[in-house]
Amino acid sequence: MSADSKRPFDDSNAAQQRFLSLFLRSEREIFRYVAALIPNVTDAEDIVQQTAMALWERFDAYDPAQPFTPWACRFALNKAHQWIERRQRWQTLLEYGLAEELAQRRQELQPEFELRLKHLEGCLGKLPQGQRSLVEGYYYERVGIETLAERSGRSAAATYKMLQRIRHTLQLCVEGQIKPDVA
Amino acid sequence: MKLSFPSPEFDNAVAAVCHGSANEAEMGALNELLRSSLSARDEYLMRVELHTRLASEPDLFFQAADAAASCRLPGISTGDRRNILPLNPAVSAIRRKLVRAMALAACLMFIAGGVWTLWFKRSAARNGATSSAVAMLARAVDARWGGNSTPLRVGSALEPGWLRLEAGLAQVVFYSGARVVLEGPTELQLISPTEAVCPAGRLLAEVPQPARGFHVKTAQINVVDRGTAFGIDATRGQTEVHVFKGEVEFFAGALAKQSLGEGRAVVVQGSAPPRLMAASRDAFASMFELQMRSLASEAFRYEQWQFASARLNQDPSLILHLDFENLSESDWTLRNAAERNRSVQDATIVGCQRAEGRWREKQALEFQSVNDRVRLAVPGDFQALTLSAWVCVKGLDRQFNSLFMSDGFDPGTIHWLIRNDGVLGLTVFGPGLGKFQILASPPVITLDKLGMWIHLAVVLDGKARQVVQYVNGYPVARHALKLGPSFRLGPAELGNWNARGGPNPAPSLIRNLSGSLDEFELFSRALSDAEVHELYAKGKPDV
Repeated sequence: MSADSKRPFDDSNAAQQRFLSLFLRSEREIFRYVAALIPNVTDAEDIVQQTAMALWERFDAYDPAQPFTPWACRFALNKAHQWIERRQRWQTLLEYGLAEELAQRRQELQPEFELRLKHLEGCLGKLPQGQRSLVEGYYYERVGIETLAERSGRSAAATYKMLQRIRHTLQLCVEGQIKPDVA
Repeated sequence: MKLSFPSPEFDNAVAAVCHGSANEAEMGALNELLRSSLSARDEYLMRVELHTRLASEPDLFFQAADAAASCRLPGISTGDRRNILPLNPAVSAIRRKLVRAMALAACLMFIAGGVWTLWFKRSAARNGATSSAVAMLARAVDARWGGNSTPLRVGSALEPGWLRLEAGLAQVVFYSGARVVLEGPTELQLISPTEAVCPAGRLLAEVPQPARGFHVKTAQINVVDRGTAFGIDATRGQTEVHVFKGEVEFFAGALAKQSLGEGRAVVVQGSAPPRLMAASRDAFASMFELQMRSLASEAFRYEQWQFASARLNQDPSLILHLDFENLSESDWTLRNAAERNRSVQDATIVGCQRAEGRWREKQALEFQSVNDRVRLAVPGDFQALTLSAWVCVKGLDRQFNSLFMSDGFDPGTIHWLIRNDGVLGLTVFGPGLGKFQILASPPVITLDKLGMWIHLAVVLDGKARQVVQYVNGYPVARHALKLGPSFRLGPAELGNWNARGGPNPAPSLIRNLSGSLDEFELFSRALSDAEVHELYAKGKPDV
């Protein structure tokens, strides 16, 4: 049974609107929360999508006096665990409590990340054209790696390697922007 | 397989995890390393964060996004592997499925501001606010609630109606400011922000000056507060009233109004004349204890805020910090506490009442009449600005209720306000005369937020060309900014507006705030979501 049919008709539209507006505001944060555990973008997306459905089903239990994002992240953690349970590789990565530890530590590092990553846009702008279009293709246009490889005349493995190098360049750049006397 | 850190193998393993191509041996080795090495774990998190930002922040690729943003309709897919629209891909896939599942018009999701516009129109039709709450449940200790009501959570808004506390203690804060502790079993009917009925049970009320006139009825007696602390012990046949501080008035049966002073108590039973005796604190000991604990935690929060405030004053981008501390009746200046940047002079108070702030010891200014205002002048041009305020809104009396407004409508200036439908608005005036952009949030200042201290902030980012509005530390609206920097503030007012018009301005030009302010900050840069949230977290009234 879909979540819709559980709700009286007149009320559901308003509830949907309310839910959507809350969810959309938190969506990126939920995505990043999940992706800190399962960094592969398409997998993280799937989990966020399942989380969204679970949230909508349990939206009746949401207390508007409480902030939405932490509430949603609890569901996301749950969904991530369910997802991991069926995937041995990821279980191996996150077992022995590492998942919780990462989620917790990420929370603590958040201000630090903000400080660094606010320079990300500027640093992207400094990339040579070829690198920039590769990043854009992979992260923004979301073109598959084979297509990206074809476009640039590299192998898929070399394209992955190139992405890894570009991220490294970006990281050095954002960290170089932090003046030691601020922080 | 074993990984060390730092090493090229570590780099490769992290990249493989990001690309989803890591094998089980790599993942196992990474798990072991991350659990044993804190520096490896932090570095891992940083790399993953950078990767997920790239995947979830289409704004980073702003120029490309701009071209694509001219309303892509769903269904025009580019045919890539996951059939995902190119605009904001990481999230739109989720949105799309969600939308389908929720049977909503999908186009709505793909226009950044469209959601708000539509949502706002609907809510506006409902007239914005719908809550009729009169009080809030502030604290509970071992509370068991009776009746078939849903369990009450601390922080819930309470609408008029019955509270049935079977056991334990609960503190209810009325929107008038009266704080009432109940000890179960107690029945309390909430009538309005200034009135309650207690047919049976025990309560301890503490009523600050602004809430004077708060009254509690029992079967025998009507107790009207005159700025005090008092206790009531009521049964169906008898009511005791104990005054611990100040004075109350009471009406019993047909008798004329009588007053009862500090340290006195009265027993009213049936139609017998009221019997006087000494007030007994012991009878209310557990409630006093809860109140003491609540006071102690308030004092603690206040101290924490003072500490955070002192640190904040060292921020070089903080150009104005009005902390509303050390106010006196005779002094009309409001000190700018920012220490590293002294470009803005102290502000001047015009009218305004001294009032209680977020905590009992914290001072505030109350704006009420059309003359009440704080005047200031902010020199300079800015590429970005962040405004932050702690405000207790009493009512949205005017069409536009000023938070902070530059005088007149000069180019490059701003008006920050709350509209009477609860919408937070920022108007930015463009370089040319007559050009402006209104950035409106959904109606977020709902009735249940009136009478409570809330944190409002707005970030005007000329570089990223966006405006983000926040309520209690969370973004409630993000809009693209069409008008570029630089921005100016110049002569401006808090809580009011100088229209620089004629002597009889139109009603829409009267924009005084009805409510109190107890802190205002102005930064010459765009604060991040996390920083705004921190401002809220450091200053929020309760733990």
